[in-house]
Amino acid sequence: MAKVTLKDITKIYPNTQTKKKRGKKAEPKAKGAPQVTDEGVVAVQKFSLDIDDKEFIVLVGPSGCGKSTTLRMIAGLEDISGGELYIGDKLVNDVEPKNRDIAMVFQSYALYPHMTVYENMAFSLKIKKVPKDEIDKKVREAAEILDITQYLDRKPKALSGGQRQRVAIGRAIVRDPAVFLMDEPLSNLDAKLRNQMRAEIIKLRERINTTFIYVTHDQTEAMTLGDRIVIMKDGYIQQIGTPQEVFDHPANLFVAGFIGMPQMNTFDAKLIREDKKYFVDVLGIKVELSAEKSERLLGRNVESQDVILGVRPQHIVLTDNGIKGSVDVSEMMGSEVHLHVKTADDKDVVVIVPTDNNVLGFTPGSEVNLIFGGNVAHIFSKENERNLEWD
Amino acid sequence: MKLKRDAGALNSKLLRRPIQKCFILFLIPTFGAFIIGFIYPFLQCIYLSFCKFITTRNATFIGVDNYKNALSDSSFLHAFWYTAVFAVVSLLLINVLAFAIAYALTREIKGSNLFRTVFFMPNLIGGIVLGYIWSMIFDGILSRYNTSILLESKYGFWGLIILMCWQQIGYMMIIYIAGIQSVPEDMIEAARIDGANGWQTLIKVVIPSVMPSITICTFLTLTNSFKLFDQNLALTGGSPFEFNSDGSVIKTTEMLALNIYNTFYGTNTAARGTAQAKAVIFFILVATISIIQLRTTRNKEVQQ
Repeated sequence: MAKVTLKDITKIYPNTQTKKKRGKKAEPKAKGAPQVTDEGVVAVQKFSLDIDDKEFIVLVGPSGCGKSTTLRMIAGLEDISGGELYIGDKLVNDVEPKNRDIAMVFQSYALYPHMTVYENMAFSLKIKKVPKDEIDKKVREAAEILDITQYLDRKPKALSGGQRQRVAIGRAIVRDPAVFLMDEPLSNLDAKLRNQMRAEIIKLRERINTTFIYVTHDQTEAMTLGDRIVIMKDGYIQQIGTPQEVFDHPANLFVAGFIGMPQMNTFDAKLIREDKKYFVDVLGIKVELSAEKSERLLGRNVESQDVILGVRPQHIVLTDNGIKGSVDVSEMMGSEVHLHVKTADDKDVVVIVPTDNNVLGFTPGSEVNLIFGGNVAHIFSKENERNLEWD
Repeated sequence: MKLKRDAGALNSKLLRRPIQKCFILFLIPTFGAFIIGFIYPFLQCIYLSFCKFITTRNATFIGVDNYKNALSDSSFLHAFWYTAVFAVVSLLLINVLAFAIAYALTREIKGSNLFRTVFFMPNLIGGIVLGYIWSMIFDGILSRYNTSILLESKYGFWGLIILMCWQQIGYMMIIYIAGIQSVPEDMIEAARIDGANGWQTLIKVVIPSVMPSITICTFLTLTNSFKLFDQNLALTGGSPFEFNSDGSVIKTTEMLALNIYNTFYGTNTAARGTAQAKAVIFFILVATISIIQLRTTRNKEVQQ
């Protein structure tokens, strides 16, 4: 149990090529590609985060965003190129992994194939020269928690993926670490097992109350597990917040698109300021923003401008008179229907319609009218894609 | 669905059946070569070990006399123990050193690819050539002390060990490198987090994971050592000799294969049957040791 503090943590992978080989002119970089400087490839840039004791932090982002690198730096498996890392009050930049009081669960489980489940879990304690009866007690306790007592004598190859993952977690539990690190622990499991294990991790967390840092690319895992979520992209933190916060107030267009299923819809729109009121004009339909939103925009003195409007599929409703579109695809999901609607400017808009709403009528090509409330619109600057209300 | 099954059946009938019918035709070349090159000589060898003969055509069956002679031949027994000790020492040295070098070269050392190539190169030189090259090297050094590799059997023994290490370590190293590289990086990292130091990681995680490579390498070094012939012939040829009071000669650095060769092509043509019997005993010996060794190391292998 400990706080973890990351201060301007940076990771740069030095260039392996010599300068000659790299060529004289750097190719113009694609937007958002990892930064390449003279020192090398920057994987994580000035990552600062205070993790409270017993907090469950989830690092989430697309592949290559630096989330795993950050976790591996906390674990001590990667050198830290710059910045300071504290576990508890101790600066651990140059401390060996085994002395950091952490435990880590790997995506590939990384079990020792020549040892039984029991030996796998006991390995770290044996190395620490813990007395045998104490090892036995701890291993059996952890096995009890994870419901793998009956497999203690088996070798990993005789276990299913889910069972192996439990063993990997068990191996971490017996060490009783101050910080529990998990690197995409559920990615190798099938969808059903993943949901099940996700629930188990929530339960586990209640039982072994300690600090968790969890890396995933799956936003559902991030939303359901995290006390706070850190959304990363290209080595930069995009937003830190509770699941509710990042869902309700995405800091920028990237976060808005990354969090939420299906993805948030975006429209090219105009933000219009009339005295103390704000409106958005999208495809000729003018929607007044809620008083709350207007107040915030007013507080930041936002002028009329072209913006990107984001509305979540859950928040769009069908009406008689609104943004016109024609149904492209209708996906029946059971309790709801996802309608893919083409609007006049050829944008694909997803709308979630409850099934009690006569869904059978939405044949491809049929005309619909869409509208949303002024309280659910997210307004992003067209220039820098930041949320005009919040950031 | 039905259509699909019919298509499958049709496929197998038209394409697979005729080929399956002629499988013997395809087997004939290889199987023929196997019979001519291995099965027939092998059976002939076993038969001849019970015969008195000079050429294979005039062999006369004499029962187990050859075996009696072979087992009472003091030079053969000496060669057996000499070979056994040699095999154990070279097995240990070659494997320990090859593994150590492989482990070092998989630790991201600069120029490790160059080292790999260089260490492997001795394998490309034939045994006879190697034997002569090394006898010159050893004699070059030993002549400073007014002696020669041919004069003392301990020089011959260690000379042969050095030669074998020099030749075989590179080869075994390649096998170990492949084994070590297939150990998942995650597992090593997990061991690091679990608190294992470098040595503990090596002993408790890496070595158990490369057991398949260890099986192969110990098998190869063991059988190579037992069957060693050309290096032995070229380096010392069995020198120095010991003359016993009963008139028999023991070539102190003579190994099993060379002993059999010398018995067969020696001046005493009557001993050819004995040499044949020695060869059969030799085969049984090598086969038994190899099988025991494979069994024991296989048991320690694990699947990922």
